[in-house]
Amino acid sequence: MAIELVKKDYLFGRGWKSWTPILLLLPGFGLYLIIAVGPSLATAVYSFTDATGIKGAPVNWIGFDNYDEFLFRGLASRDNIAALQRTLIFSVLVTGIQFSLGLALALLLNQKLKGKIFFRTLFFLPVILGAVIQGLMWKLFLLPNGGPVSEIFGLFGIESEFLGGQPTEAFLWVIAVQIWANVGITMVIFLAGMATIDEDLYEAARIDGAGGWDLFKSITWPQLTPAINTNFLLNIIGSLQAWQLFLVLIGYRPGTQVLGYEIFAQGFGQTGGVSAAFRQGFAAAASVVLFFIVLVLGLSANWFVTRRERKYLG
Amino acid sequence: MTAQTIEQETPVIEEPGKRFPWGKVISYAVLVIFSILYIGPLFMLVNASFKTLADFFKDPISPVSSINFDNYSSAWERANFSRYMLNSLVYTVAATTIFVVTSVFVAFPIARGLVKGAGALLTLYVVALFLPPALIPQFQLILNLGLYNTRIGYIFLFVVNPIGMIILVNYIKSIPRELDESAAVDGCGYFRFVWSVILPLIRPAVATVTVLHAIGIWNEIILPTIYLTSEDFYPITRGLIVFEGQYGSDWPGLAAAVLMLMLPMLVLFIVLQRFIIGGLTSGAVKG
Repeated sequence: MAIELVKKDYLFGRGWKSWTPILLLLPGFGLYLIIAVGPSLATAVYSFTDATGIKGAPVNWIGFDNYDEFLFRGLASRDNIAALQRTLIFSVLVTGIQFSLGLALALLLNQKLKGKIFFRTLFFLPVILGAVIQGLMWKLFLLPNGGPVSEIFGLFGIESEFLGGQPTEAFLWVIAVQIWANVGITMVIFLAGMATIDEDLYEAARIDGAGGWDLFKSITWPQLTPAINTNFLLNIIGSLQAWQLFLVLIGYRPGTQVLGYEIFAQGFGQTGGVSAAFRQGFAAAASVVLFFIVLVLGLSANWFVTRRERKYLG
Repeated sequence: MTAQTIEQETPVIEEPGKRFPWGKVISYAVLVIFSILYIGPLFMLVNASFKTLADFFKDPISPVSSINFDNYSSAWERANFSRYMLNSLVYTVAATTIFVVTSVFVAFPIARGLVKGAGALLTLYVVALFLPPALIPQFQLILNLGLYNTRIGYIFLFVVNPIGMIILVNYIKSIPRELDESAAVDGCGYFRFVWSVILPLIRPAVATVTVLHAIGIWNEIILPTIYLTSEDFYPITRGLIVFEGQYGSDWPGLAAAVLMLMLPMLVLFIVLQRFIIGGLTSGAVKG
């Protein structure tokens, strides 16, 4: 039945020997199914149950109850909708600013400048340090009393509690740190894109008398299409799912958390462990809601970039 | 800003000394100002790590006059950082090794189309990039396998990486097929061919994938929070957060701890920068 798994033109032996690729593929692919694909699909199944966080507890089928509660029921649902809105605001601001800033930095560093490797390395550095170190560095830098940012703000007469201040203020600081931490990725992807643009195009346009802005508009921007698409999609999808910095910078605070953090808090408490109080079914339903948002925004972004690609690259 | 920038990409040939390079000056000014946002927090961290607690509370930002490493040794003693560091190392090395070794044998047949449905298999890896992390069912799986709060269970979570797989597949596609044919004619077996001919040839891609995957595990904070409750099993990320919870107001100690745990990554990054940046941008600009 499954004898035909290997193609006819397989080179490395006949008979049982032709099974070797399948046998060697199985461990890696099997692990992928068990750890990634299976659980991803099972999230939808769990979202219809009242599963908790302890082993062997009875799990009941409760239909659309979790969704109903998440979206429509009482005060708690209003918090959930607020978290959902915050997720969207977070994503739009992070995507917009990180994309523009990354492009600006890449344009600056794509010139013949001394020390550009140093700047590139510096701006990229936070990416490899990870959320914990990024967060702790900024917690210190944003120290409310006598910290550097606080002193500078003080010069302008602004007093601020930064991460410990009003929810909206703390939320905006998390956005700032998120962009600070990840703009390096956007920048290097743009730089890699710029490196593929043929220098002759600029030369020819200059002979025709094109100025800087003309060059950007009619050569750099269209030629950069693949990098633009990648960055746009990566930023949208990444920012919708990112919440680690919330955990490190401000913890679980009412009025600040995004959907990803809400899922974690509902499904695992805030400190981890094993508990009957964990609402894993409910968290699974919230995950499915987040998935649909990622799907809808990801697909719209994809539609948008493909249309743009057709316009520029034919 | 943009206008000057582009103009400078390849300076137009002109008589020397004809024009003051405003574009370059403005570019430098912007870059230097932006750099402060990156050097500042790092400098603050280093500076604070050399202060005594009393000095820090009196004035957190004045530069230290003398360097002493007391905070480093006391932070190291107060928390079990050597244990955390060893744990992180074990998790990272074990999971990355399993991932890379198993993945090469998935990537090769997919790239060559050796097996039926190779295209569908690849799609399955691409789709995963859009799926939300499967936290809940994964937790139930680990819990019911009895692997909760164990080293094995924690490593198990990190043995797959769809992006890494896609990088490997794309790279293998660039290796000429003639190689397969001549090896087969010479009577080389499949395993030996992939292991001792293909693997050395795809070393750059393997290096990239290894580094990216290892960084991801080393920096992970959510999964250790969920899966590891015994302090003995903490990786450094979780150890740092717990240390912060206990000694949160002792910024000099915390700064010293952060710096000590940052150092390995910093060294690794400077040595392997090419692979890291190469990996993140590979495929991103080809469309």
